[in-house]
Amino acid sequence: MNFINEAAAVNGLADYIIKCGVCLYNSVKYIYSLAENDFYNVNIKDVLKIMLNNMPDTDPIKTLGLRIDDYTCREMQSEEYNRVLPLMVFSLAVRIPVLKNVKNGEDSMTDDQLYRLYTAVIDKGAENYRDIITESFLETKYLVRKGKKLPPFTADWYKSYIYSSVPALSEITNKNMFLLGFVDVLFAMFYSCVEDGLSRKVLEYAAGEGTVPDENKE
Amino acid sequence: MEAKIVQFAVRDNNNLFKLELYRTLLHFTEFDFTYFWERCIDAGRSAKKTGRLPQNTVANAKNVISGVHPYVEALINSDFSEIVTDCIIEYICHSERIGFEELWVRCISPKNLYEEAIFSRISQYKVGKAVNQWENIVRLQEYARNKLAFIYDCDGENVPQEEAVLRTRKEYFDLAYSMAANELGIDGEKLPSVKVSSPSLAPNATFMNAKVSKAIYRRFAEALRLGGDMSVPASKNCGLIKDRLAMDAYAYVRGMKRPAEIDMRFALEAFAGEAEEIYLPDSFKAVIDLEFDLIMKNGIVLRRCEDCGRYFAAYDDGFLCNRVNSSGMTCRQQFETLKAAIAEAAEAERESNEAAAEEDRDKKQDTVPPELEKRGQKIYNALYKRVGKAMDEKEFREWSRYLSDMKRNIKTGEATTDQLAEFLDYSDRLCEEVKSAVKSKSPKKPEFRYPEEPSEHTEQPQRQEQPERIVFADEDPEMAHIHVPVEDESVPLPEIIKAASGAEVEVKPFRPETFDSAADAFIAGAFAAAEEKTKKKPAEIKTPQWTRLTREEAYGRREDGE
Repeated sequence: MNFINEAAAVNGLADYIIKCGVCLYNSVKYIYSLAENDFYNVNIKDVLKIMLNNMPDTDPIKTLGLRIDDYTCREMQSEEYNRVLPLMVFSLAVRIPVLKNVKNGEDSMTDDQLYRLYTAVIDKGAENYRDIITESFLETKYLVRKGKKLPPFTADWYKSYIYSSVPALSEITNKNMFLLGFVDVLFAMFYSCVEDGLSRKVLEYAAGEGTVPDENKE
Repeated sequence: MEAKIVQFAVRDNNNLFKLELYRTLLHFTEFDFTYFWERCIDAGRSAKKTGRLPQNTVANAKNVISGVHPYVEALINSDFSEIVTDCIIEYICHSERIGFEELWVRCISPKNLYEEAIFSRISQYKVGKAVNQWENIVRLQEYARNKLAFIYDCDGENVPQEEAVLRTRKEYFDLAYSMAANELGIDGEKLPSVKVSSPSLAPNATFMNAKVSKAIYRRFAEALRLGGDMSVPASKNCGLIKDRLAMDAYAYVRGMKRPAEIDMRFALEAFAGEAEEIYLPDSFKAVIDLEFDLIMKNGIVLRRCEDCGRYFAAYDDGFLCNRVNSSGMTCRQQFETLKAAIAEAAEAERESNEAAAEEDRDKKQDTVPPELEKRGQKIYNALYKRVGKAMDEKEFREWSRYLSDMKRNIKTGEATTDQLAEFLDYSDRLCEEVKSAVKSKSPKKPEFRYPEEPSEHTEQPQRQEQPERIVFADEDPEMAHIHVPVEDESVPLPEIIKAASGAEVEVKPFRPETFDSAADAFIAGAFAAAEEKTKKKPAEIKTPQWTRLTREEAYGRREDGE
């Protein structure tokens, strides 16, 4: 795909993927905090609506009175859980070859461009810690090239990691059960929005509109 | 009379606020929100253009609304801080016929601070962290008005109600609300309530009496520092462990002895100005209900003013308030003034009616009644026939003129029909006299005489009232010349008109109208008559002189000797 400024486009897309990873990470925390005091006050549907409509910004969720502080998310205050963020970004990065399907007329991103984007995301901190995520960039690339359907974006790796590495969250408590229940729905819904957002970004860069960094847009 | 004042405290505020019994309530129920509403709409329109709410307008609107009630004033920077946004949200939903949910979805990805404010506020509604305070105030005002009307309005006639009746009405109203809440499954503990406490046991007592608190803290600082943190999560239900928590806290000051005299004096000064008890309402409705309760408890009776329709505290049986209205007077003063004016107007109307009636009467008198007219004509005809026989022409003319004058005087209101009737009575008698004179073929003719002028003006009415007896000579010759008043012998006897016949008739002379002055007489036409009298000589009726003529004188002598 022809970008006016390819480096800027790759960098901007990488940033967007990172932000989406952070958004997913924070969203999980916000929803988890809901179980602390506001289980009957806050409708989780409202949280999902806000999150998906404002991606990758999660601040609007605060309007529901939810806070991700040390107390409400105390079970997540561990070094092990902090590894979840690079894992989440990595889980999105491995799906970068899907952008091959984004067409600007007849033009689409080249394999080289996709790989450079993947590398940029990895360079920004994405990491497959303990190889928790079973998918890979090459595997996805292969499936896309073959026109095969990708497996759904699930929270299986997240739950596996929690059970194996974060004991505070693997305990059987009301909050933890709530967490392990809602992440399935959240991951699936979230990915579809990330895909749409990324496709839009690619087209913006191709049209020369996406040169301005997203965070300065407002 | 001064209103009783109670003090209340609200959460998140260390100050005490005053509640003037009945005045605060009445002020709230009568508050006009129009200005506030207009300010909010202005702010909303401006924000739609600029993307943010104009802070000056918002501050102005908040100042206005904080005057509605001390409770709002106390929480204007917390619960009611977003009341302008609330009003705008309400306006948008109402004008565009959409619900909060739809507006929330519209603003879910806010493009500016204005949309963000709306989105944020509706999110708070959704999670129960706030309510639309504008809507809440309006609904509570309606609630207070309805409660006022239910308790204090009279059914029909304005009759002061007994205190027991008012209390029963209040309890009935409150119970209806409680019953509805219960039937709808709302837990009573979650409904508004008020706690009563002494100032030092209030939730924020430590901060309310900060100076004394600091002095006490200094005494137990060491022990308290070692005590650690005993805070309880907000979500924890402490309903059953309150005593334990209280005693755990008390354990740290258990050994306390009275402070030194100087500290005690300091505390005395600090507590001197405080109320004995303070109220801790947990909602706006609770404050309103509290005021109703305290009004009832203090024996204050509210009534609706008959004049202006506003409620007021009544200290007697009256139904008029002492508030100054647009006329510059109180309703009571206005009523008194109006009452006096009505009485005055009624009096004036009565007098006017009386005057009109009198005028009617006079008008009726101003016209000569037809029967008297007819009667006068009859007498006239009768006398006219006998002119030159028993009555000479001069007399007849005098009589006729007098009758005409009398009629004219009646029309001008200077004489009455009674006087005319009296004159006609006299004329009847005169006529009879004339008739009898003609019959007897007496050379003497009856004389027409005016009645004599009374010596004093006061005699006339007296004379009219006294029935007089007319004695005919035929009946009693001895008494024929005497005309005797029935009751008062001292009244001068009327002149007897002697008829030429053998039967002497005593007739009461007619007394013409008298005048106080020459001017009156002139106006009445008396002078005109007199002048006419002097100027015009009465026409003399020449009696025919019959002389016997000879044939020659009658037919003349012929030349030829025939």
